[in-house]
Amino acid sequence: MILTQQLTKHYGKVEALHELNLNIEKGKVFGFIGPNGAGKSTTMLILSTLLEPTSGRAYVAGYDVCKEPKAVRQALGYMPDFFGVYDNLKTTEYLEFYAAAYHIPPEKRRSLIADLLELVNLSNKADSYVDALSRGMKQRLGLARCLVHSPEVLILDEPASGLDPRARIEMREILKELRKMGKTILISSHILPELAELCDEIGVIEKGRLIACGAVDDVSVGTRGISVMEVKVLEKHDHALQLLEAFPYVRRLDDKASHFRFQFTGTESDKAALLQKLIDAGIPVVQFGESKENLEDVFLAITEGVGN
Amino acid sequence: MKDFFSNPLIVKEMRERFRSKRSFWILGTYLFVMGAILLGFLYITEMNTYMTPGENRDMFLMMAAIQYAMICFIAPALSAGAISGERERQTLHVLLTTHLSPGRIIISKLITSLAFIFLMVVATLPLYSFVFLYGGISPQQLSLFVLFLAMNIIFFGALGIFCSTWIKRTSVSTITAYGLAFFFVVGTGLLCLFIGMLLTELYPDKYLGDEVFNQLGLQWLASSNPVYVMLSILGESIGPAIEPDVTPWLFFSVVYLILTIVLIMWSTYLLHPVRKRYWGWKK
Ligand SMILES: Nc1ncnc2c1ncn2[C@@H]1O[C@H](COP(=O)(O)OP(=O)(O)OP(=O)(O)O)[C@@H](O)[C@H]1O
Ligand SMILES: [Mg+2]
Repeated sequence: MILTQQLTKHYGKVEALHELNLNIEKGKVFGFIGPNGAGKSTTMLILSTLLEPTSGRAYVAGYDVCKEPKAVRQALGYMPDFFGVYDNLKTTEYLEFYAAAYHIPPEKRRSLIADLLELVNLSNKADSYVDALSRGMKQRLGLARCLVHSPEVLILDEPASGLDPRARIEMREILKELRKMGKTILISSHILPELAELCDEIGVIEKGRLIACGAVDDVSVGTRGISVMEVKVLEKHDHALQLLEAFPYVRRLDDKASHFRFQFTGTESDKAALLQKLIDAGIPVVQFGESKENLEDVFLAITEGVGN
Repeated sequence: MKDFFSNPLIVKEMRERFRSKRSFWILGTYLFVMGAILLGFLYITEMNTYMTPGENRDMFLMMAAIQYAMICFIAPALSAGAISGERERQTLHVLLTTHLSPGRIIISKLITSLAFIFLMVVATLPLYSFVFLYGGISPQQLSLFVLFLAMNIIFFGALGIFCSTWIKRTSVSTITAYGLAFFFVVGTGLLCLFIGMLLTELYPDKYLGDEVFNQLGLQWLASSNPVYVMLSILGESIGPAIEPDVTPWLFFSVVYLILTIVLIMWSTYLLHPVRKRYWGWKK
């Protein structure tokens, strides 16, 4: 459904994307993860026909983004990371405007808009002015907006940014609903646990390069030879800190007062050696093991892993 | 007309613009001020001399000048925020992903931003009936004058739209639009005078007095100055006497129409997110 080949974008001298290859199949939800400035929004702009790539090709629903923008726009709903709404328009009028802009016949609009508002839980706000809605409501309205022409592909740039935890969960429920409807979704986020539950696949991008891509389980720390360890000691905290810092395979040591957390790049026997070393030094170790991985760690581990 | 009301952008803009009370206050204030000036002027002249209806042109000239000045001030300002305003409100990207083509967006924006000023001009027409009473102007002149105003409104509107597509910020775009409008309204006239005088200085034996202004180039320059054209329509003259080969308002209309079309097409080109390359070669 979404395919990019050697997609490259330069802003002047800045290389925002470097030969990006993506392939997202129909009906899949693809999570796009990367630190600030990685090139997520840039990719999405190119796919939404709003930005011209410097080189390379991109296809949405089989149409070339540069050559057949009309067809791409019909197949695609794009929600930017930041977007505004118009003043002096009511929610229904706002949606009606976009419905008309997508050439939806007037007689169908009313029921369509009611359905969309129902989907995003805004039915009770149908007659409010859009600029009086809260941030989370605007975000949901924006989502309804990109569904007016029932596109097959959705490109959502950080749909959950600026939402409180409850609103985030609501947004996730809506997206799950959309997944059930068989839409192909490309979604970017910084908040990783949010993606884990929702996405079939994730892609990690950094400095314009895709550095890991695959099913959520595959893109784990282990596959890249890095593991996240947790160590807890009862006493001699400072001594333990010194030892850990001195150990060759320990990186990004995080002293969390009660315990330590770090990335470990060595083998299993190196781990044993580390434990032995701590015990030889007479430090009372109560916990030594791999931390229960969460995506946060994946994110930190992978993105830093390539940078160094 | 059906297309007009089914154009989503026009419907939306009209809702946005005319729903706010502000628009009506502006219109009301404007009519009030115009009326007050007119009546005040009448009152003062009546005090000094007895005015015979049918002979006083001053009043019409004054009304025309005020109206023209208003257009110069308002038309660029109304349209200079049309596209950059969408950009600043971060709604432009979304707009461009719909099926509305850049050309359609530009035209609809032009129409809606100028609708208000057209409304203002039409609303002042009854005031002109007063002026008619005092005469000095023929209906032909008046209709020509209204057409002239319309041409100016459209041109300044296109100028504003162009600046607003070209420049990211509304504030900068408004200033630029004013600057360019100033060039067209005042600059062309000054340029014409300057070149004329320079030529007389340089070749005193060739041109005697104001004859230089009958040069074709200078004639054209003068005819593209709206103030000169407006006065010639109203049967007044300003600056050196010129005996034009082409009727000034005809020349003016053709030139400004072409300029307007160029500006609109250029804006459309600029608004395309992914610009087609009509020239050059890309691998
Ligand atoms: N309009 C622009 N002009 C110049 N450089 C730009 C422009 N937009 C983005 N960039 C650069 O391109 C790179 C990628 O930016 P992009 O917005 O795609 O990042 P992102 O992954 O969306 O980041 P974030 O998580 O902060 O949204 C950055 O280095 C940025 O500085
Ligand atoms: Mg971004």
